[in-house]
Amino acid sequence: MSAVATGAAPARPRAAGFVVRVLHEPAALVGGLIVLFFIAVALAAPLIAPYDPNASDWMAIRQAPDAAHWFGTDDLGRDILSRIIYGTRASLAAGIVAIVVAVLIGVPLGLLAGYAGGIVDVLISRLADAFLAMPFLVLAIALAAFLGPSLQNAMVAIGLSATPIFVRLARGQTLVVCAEDYIAAARSQGIGPVTIMLGHVLPNILPPIVVQASLTMAVAVLAEASLAFLGLGQVPPDASWGSMLDVARQFLGEAPWMAIWPGAAIIVLVIGFNLLGDGCNDALSPWRGD
Amino acid sequence: MKTARGFIIAVSALAMTALAAQAATLKVGMQDDPDALDPALSGTYTGRFVFASLCDKLVDISPDLKIVPQLAESWEWAPDGRSITFSLRRGVTFHDGTPFDAEAVKFNIERMKTMPDSKRKAELAPVASVEVVAADKVRLALSEPFVPLLANLSDRAGMMVSPKAAKEKGAEFAASPVCAGPYSFVERKSRDLIRAKKYPGYWNAGRIGYDEVVYSIVPDSTVRLQRVRAGDLDLAERVAPTDLKAVREDANLALHAGQGVAVSHLMFNVGNGEKAKGPLGQNETLRQAFELAIDRNVINRVAFNGEFLADNQMIPPSNPFYSKAHPAPARNVAKAKELIGKAGMTRVPVEITYENALADGRVAQIIQSMAAEAGFEVKLQPLETTSAIERYLNGNFEAYIGNWSGRADPDPTLVSFFATTGSQNVNKFSSKELDALLMQARAEADEAKRKALYEKATGIYLTALSSIPLYHPNWFFAARKSVGGVVMYPDGLLRLDGLKPAN
Repeated sequence: MSAVATGAAPARPRAAGFVVRVLHEPAALVGGLIVLFFIAVALAAPLIAPYDPNASDWMAIRQAPDAAHWFGTDDLGRDILSRIIYGTRASLAAGIVAIVVAVLIGVPLGLLAGYAGGIVDVLISRLADAFLAMPFLVLAIALAAFLGPSLQNAMVAIGLSATPIFVRLARGQTLVVCAEDYIAAARSQGIGPVTIMLGHVLPNILPPIVVQASLTMAVAVLAEASLAFLGLGQVPPDASWGSMLDVARQFLGEAPWMAIWPGAAIIVLVIGFNLLGDGCNDALSPWRGD
Repeated sequence: MKTARGFIIAVSALAMTALAAQAATLKVGMQDDPDALDPALSGTYTGRFVFASLCDKLVDISPDLKIVPQLAESWEWAPDGRSITFSLRRGVTFHDGTPFDAEAVKFNIERMKTMPDSKRKAELAPVASVEVVAADKVRLALSEPFVPLLANLSDRAGMMVSPKAAKEKGAEFAASPVCAGPYSFVERKSRDLIRAKKYPGYWNAGRIGYDEVVYSIVPDSTVRLQRVRAGDLDLAERVAPTDLKAVREDANLALHAGQGVAVSHLMFNVGNGEKAKGPLGQNETLRQAFELAIDRNVINRVAFNGEFLADNQMIPPSNPFYSKAHPAPARNVAKAKELIGKAGMTRVPVEITYENALADGRVAQIIQSMAAEAGFEVKLQPLETTSAIERYLNGNFEAYIGNWSGRADPDPTLVSFFATTGSQNVNKFSSKELDALLMQARAEADEAKRKALYEKATGIYLTALSSIPLYHPNWFFAARKSVGGVVMYPDGLLRLDGLKPAN
């Protein structure tokens, strides 16, 4: 086992090594490519979508895939391919914003709990436990219903629901890192707690958080689809894969393409994030053989 | 040997009884669990659906919306229209054996008028007193002539419950109702099923073909249909229009369709608080432009496979009081733009609130898309049912997609939505002229004159357009072919009378 994995080395080389190792994981590479593909689709949506995703053609209701509409049309005569393309934006945005919310709230709290200990730790940890006691999706649904249906609210709801995981993770990692000699050395030199937390602890707990973020991203994408499916996400007529599935459910027999494409898109993107997360995890694991 | 044979005979006899019992149970799938099973308290369609088996009414409606006898065999209006005398059917008993007579009618009407939570008070408001003339004759004295009374008595206001049971059970009555219908209540499992068994003492027992009826609650219409296809249910109410193709193609199923009295309409807040201050709330010309911007036939074709009835009035064409003088205007985007220009605008913002159900969501998006072509910037606000209804009742909306179940008589619908004090007038529309016409029409016994009054009233509400009627849903039941005698009624309720296993 190399010195890098023990976490004793300075942060920068460790992070760089991490990226290199991730790229050497085939699973992570495939996952990364899938995610990159969807990001490209989301960014280029106006360029590549063949139709306006919200434009109805009243004469082309629930048409099977053909040359004009590669993925068919939906119950309001809208091009499904274009809606899938634009729906990518909702899914990715939900995933990214939710993770940013969860990391920005969860990591500082976990760091503080782990570093400060005592009553601060007890308060933060019990609060996180209380939130963790509720199933993730149930919490997200409750929050989204409370905030009202919109994509922004769904993102916030998912982010808040995912926060306790990051609190826990950051706290645990902080406890491990704080036991290291270099932290004791820093303390003995009279370096302030804020500098130690941000300069010494944070960089060393980041890799597992990145892994967790990638895995949680998959959950967040799924959660956004679930909320939209329940009518708590993206407001119509704007496309979201989840709301497309919700509508398609009514036409499973006569227009299965309405369900197949958004379903496939969700599966592929979630698999992408999962592969990436698993790959990162493998690359990072101190137990893997060299 | 002898015992063995005896055993076999006994077993086969048992098996046959079991088969017979199974064959004579009617299993019905319903969309929602009803509320209180007390005619005085009930406020849901599925409640009325179940009452059709439990509780007979003084009068019923026929499939063509005429008033026909049920517990009352005949009736007579006083010449001044201020009282009506019913001759009651003799020999009728409630499920607990209590005889049905004039005293029971008096008890029931008074119960519905005085019970604290009664939802029938408005329907029976014109009834000033109930007088027992003879054991089988009862007179209702009215404070003012009120022609729609009979139509009201064909619904829950006319359902008779056992006075004995009502007194004994008090507030618990709804948990095990005792009426005089063809079936008596057996059990109810919340959100699961309601079971009723044939009442042998029913006055028309010869027309009752099933020994037992079980109402199962299956919220999803596609699932409800699948269960009928699988033979797990005999009949499903309210099959989605988009599923009708599947029903028609299934050799084991029969599709029962009928015109309804319900209406879906887009209501504009014209006078209730801040939300009424938008351009559409303040300007009837803009509302007229909005009507011209949408195509009702497209809504019907796209959202309902063309299975409903696109129409511009609150009461359906099947109603004798429908106004033929006011046909639905064809879509005219140019004219709509012109009207918007007349109002000094080019872009008109409006927010449509609706219950987050699939059908309303689809209708809202179609409206949004069509209205945009004329210059309306429609924002959609889907809400889950409870919050949507709360906003509706508080008038906290700019526009709202309303779904009204309708009544046999035009009076309750038009008064509720357009009279200044109407119970559904949450958008605070008010027209003195229309108020006067509606009051006049409810007192007019002559059908032709009454029709002329409603014709005028229709002209007024279609000009003001505080609400734009969009379509009338039709009723669709999917039943297995083994269910014989299904007749569709405009109220969408399944009469058990005449229903029997087909083979």
